[in-house]
Amino acid sequence: MEPLILQATEDTPEIVFDPDQNTFKISKISVPEDAYEFYYPIIQWIKDYSKNPLDQTSVEFDLEYVNSASAKQLIQLLLALEDLGRENNVTIKWYYEAIDEDMQMLGKRFKNLADIDFEFIEI
Amino acid sequence: MFEDNLFDKAFNLFSRVQQQDFEYVYRGYFTHNITKKILTLADLNIQKAVPFSTIQKRIYYIMVEGIQNITRHQDEIFTGNEEYPGIFAIQKQKDRYYVTTGNLVLNEKIPILKDKIKQINSLEKDELKKFHKDILRSGVISDKGGAGLGLIEMARKSDNKLVSSFELINENYSYFYLQTQIPTTKTSSLDGDVEELKLRKSLISIKKLHLSLIIENILLYFNGFFNQENLLSLLSIIKGRLNISITTIRLSNVMVEMIQNIIKHGAKGEDDNGAPGIFFIQQREKGDFALTSGNYIPEKDANVLQEKIDNVNSLSKDELGEYYDKILLDLDSVTSKKSGLGLPDLRIKSGQKLTYNFHKLEEDLYFYILQTTVTNKKS
Repeated sequence: MEPLILQATEDTPEIVFDPDQNTFKISKISVPEDAYEFYYPIIQWIKDYSKNPLDQTSVEFDLEYVNSASAKQLIQLLLALEDLGRENNVTIKWYYEAIDEDMQMLGKRFKNLADIDFEFIEI
Repeated sequence: MFEDNLFDKAFNLFSRVQQQDFEYVYRGYFTHNITKKILTLADLNIQKAVPFSTIQKRIYYIMVEGIQNITRHQDEIFTGNEEYPGIFAIQKQKDRYYVTTGNLVLNEKIPILKDKIKQINSLEKDELKKFHKDILRSGVISDKGGAGLGLIEMARKSDNKLVSSFELINENYSYFYLQTQIPTTKTSSLDGDVEELKLRKSLISIKKLHLSLIIENILLYFNGFFNQENLLSLLSIIKGRLNISITTIRLSNVMVEMIQNIIKHGAKGEDDNGAPGIFFIQQREKGDFALTSGNYIPEKDANVLQEKIDNVNSLSKDELGEYYDKILLDLDSVTSKKSGLGLPDLRIKSGQKLTYNFHKLEEDLYFYILQTTVTNKKS
């Protein structure tokens, strides 16, 4: 499957979804005005990938800022991963800075809403 | 329920600058990065507003000179005077721009500055050019590149007289305000007593505004059109202004939500520059911050909005979490730009009830002020 690689912009995150490299990472800043427009193709990619996934998919979230509009799309992304996880092995690595309570809180919220394994990593 | 006083102030600040048609005001310490962002922010707005690129360039040039005027002597003066930071303002009126700077100077420097400005203003265009050359040639330039070259350049680029004013702070220091005006139409020439009076009036309004910003301890103040580009510049300015801590990370998060709230829900202006409004951050005792936003909304939206805020405010902490999750998972609004999460998110992050006010401006139009608090937490 073709990898999905997007460079970070001032308000959207870097996306590296590359099954060949076994890398699935979303990082930096996510504060776009239109989060749906940005995340729709990413969620679609995950759904396509789910048709023929690796045995083990570990998705890293290493975000600095997330606006509420992005949170709404991220939960959809996580729910797509939850679907994938029904018959495959899926884990989420949620990175947060020690002083960033809000990011930690958001990760916990997602963990409660999506039935996937979460690993919290303080950086 | 809420602090009437501050809401009145927010509204007064906004109505006053609306009359003056402000574009943008920054108050605070000018670092290299902040200066860069201020210029980007101002430039973005000017490019949209001014049709001629030569005039855009002139305005930009004058802004750079003006800010360099502040930063050149900032460090030696700023230490020990942190409560008197500089101000930079751009005002747009129908056919002209005003660029105004305000910064501390030593009282003993005032006579020299006054003389320089008087001399520059007494010269005609050609004489100014010659004067500029003479100074460059003679090499009489102070170690900070002073010698009034910046002032001469500002007068030359604007093709207008410089207007200055001094405000005594204490026995050692005064505020030095300098204003330049740049006509935005190619034909308009701004001569005569009427123009002089207009300029004076505009300078007085900025001095008054500066005073209220100082009294209220307002760290960041933006009045103009809100759009995503402006938000990113403001975010970068505030990040450059404060040390990173639990409190300031949260402050940035809250700021993003509040400004995107204006962008998405505020009544737009006639062109596509964004939604007009005001946003400021006030530093309070114990390191707490109060964030205030103000924007226009139609009457029908005002009623719905008020119900939403009252609802969010009425919820307990647990209920608020459930409410947030419900909206987060709501599939009906997944494709909408209006996520509906802004208000509960603000309420959760500030940990306190949201305070608000609606001013009826005219039939069907309200001015909506929202305030949140970010409490200082030790990391």
